[in-house]
Amino acid sequence: MRKRMSWLLMWMFLLASLLFVGALQAEEAKITVLNPRGQTPSIPLVPMAPRLDTLNDKTIYLVDVRFEGGKSFLLEMKDWFAKNMPKVKTVFREKAGPYMDDDPKLWAEIKEKGDAMIMAIGH
Amino acid sequence: MFEDLVKTTAYKKGMPHQRFTFVPHPVWGKPASVHREYIEGKDPITGKPVMQEIIEALTKPLTDEEKKTGFLERTEPRIVGPDTPENLQQLFLKNGWTDGLPIVLPTEKKVAEMLKKTSHRPDKLVGKMRPSPPHEAWEYTVEKVAINAVMAGAKPEYFPVILAIASTGITSLFSSTTSFARMVVVNGPICDQIGMNSGMGAMGPFNHANATIGRAWTLISRNLSGGGTLGETYLGSQGNNLSYNNVCFAENEARNPWKPFHIQKGFKPEQSVVSIFTGWGITHSFGSAKKEFHQQISSLLGSFCPYSSGTSVAGALVLVDPLVAKDLKEVEGFDTKEKLSEWLYKNTLMTVEDYWNSGLVSTFTLPQAQLGVEPFASWLKLPKDALIPRFLSPKEINIIVVGGETNAFWQAGDFRYIGSASVDAWK
Repeated sequence: MRKRMSWLLMWMFLLASLLFVGALQAEEAKITVLNPRGQTPSIPLVPMAPRLDTLNDKTIYLVDVRFEGGKSFLLEMKDWFAKNMPKVKTVFREKAGPYMDDDPKLWAEIKEKGDAMIMAIGH
Repeated sequence: MFEDLVKTTAYKKGMPHQRFTFVPHPVWGKPASVHREYIEGKDPITGKPVMQEIIEALTKPLTDEEKKTGFLERTEPRIVGPDTPENLQQLFLKNGWTDGLPIVLPTEKKVAEMLKKTSHRPDKLVGKMRPSPPHEAWEYTVEKVAINAVMAGAKPEYFPVILAIASTGITSLFSSTTSFARMVVVNGPICDQIGMNSGMGAMGPFNHANATIGRAWTLISRNLSGGGTLGETYLGSQGNNLSYNNVCFAENEARNPWKPFHIQKGFKPEQSVVSIFTGWGITHSFGSAKKEFHQQISSLLGSFCPYSSGTSVAGALVLVDPLVAKDLKEVEGFDTKEKLSEWLYKNTLMTVEDYWNSGLVSTFTLPQAQLGVEPFASWLKLPKDALIPRFLSPKEINIIVVGGETNAFWQAGDFRYIGSASVDAWK
């Protein structure tokens, strides 16, 4: 009986040792690496322009950035306003240059003469 | 389809709550009646009527969030882990930090070995890169480039070449719905020093330096500019298989009967240089057996699409085996690459009607012509059957010699030369 107990204790000790070494090895297999991502710049928040109370008697510029289909789409929208909201004045403009180019003259005109802008990007 | 792109772009421009309305895609090529249906229909994302949503966007008072000022800060930890190599591979894959293939994990030890092959400090700024012009530019250091070079499997001795590519700030994953490809050609003594292939199979998967330098550029483009996120910073409808290693090879200077490309661009023979090209694809036409090589090449280039966007123009890159180059020089009489480019420029003309009906011309070039930009403004006044150049100048047609002389073979791509950078500056 005593001999059997000794064998049992020995097997338990061996098992515990194996579990401990296994856990240690698993821990050792863990590594750290360097993050490959670049530094993301901070983003300055731009507060959005105040909204209008109503569109009636206001001038809304419809601006096409000149991606394919935008002009036809906005001319249909202009027509929709004329039929459904006749008190809204709409002005259609194509932005100068290819779609990636800025058009400060147009933005200045909208600031001076317009109340809001809807920009359409076709594709 | 473009929801993620639109919202993330607005976020990065500092207006995370910008108000948008979407209509079904595409708008292009649809008649006005379909556009009318879109306007009278619903936003496919929110389900709200399109015009109601637009009117609300213009009249609904701003929320506190929409009025906010200040800065949005985003930070990345320098160290990833600890975790098992297998889990880290999965993490890199899941985070979109790879090209879909297994990578070499960038341990501090491996990165330190890479850094030994440049004299520059790890924190030196190498450049800025963005996925395309509307996106924000990210800055990156020598260490960040080294991390991506390790991931690509590059040997430390390739590092100056990879740094030179990174220093151009040009992404290899340009975000356009048309799925651009990029190409990098290496010239100078570095090619032999690091064992780049310029001969047989140079443009195929047979050389460690060609393969891993090109791959490193893709990983840099993903990780150091935030590029390659589908739907946000990469929109190529089909993608481009050339983007796996960006057609990275060395020019065969030893068998080139003309000046090497880097000398054409003002560098000295002893200087090592990377040259970057952009385009969409590479193709070939065996053409007529009765035609000489220059005639065969002009037939193919005569099918390339013209355009000028103000910032870029149509280009062509002819990749000739040394056997073809030898014939072009000794039999066909083109004793310089420049003379061949000039002849191709003059023999790939097109009619004014075909020019203005070309897809990219109507989008990019017509608005310039209407602004009075020459020569396009004058071309608008020409009769339909008048002939005008397909390429803006002979300089837009470049020639590179590559190949192992197992066949008098040539290929050509609609690739435009963007620029070159010194490798020596990064040793």
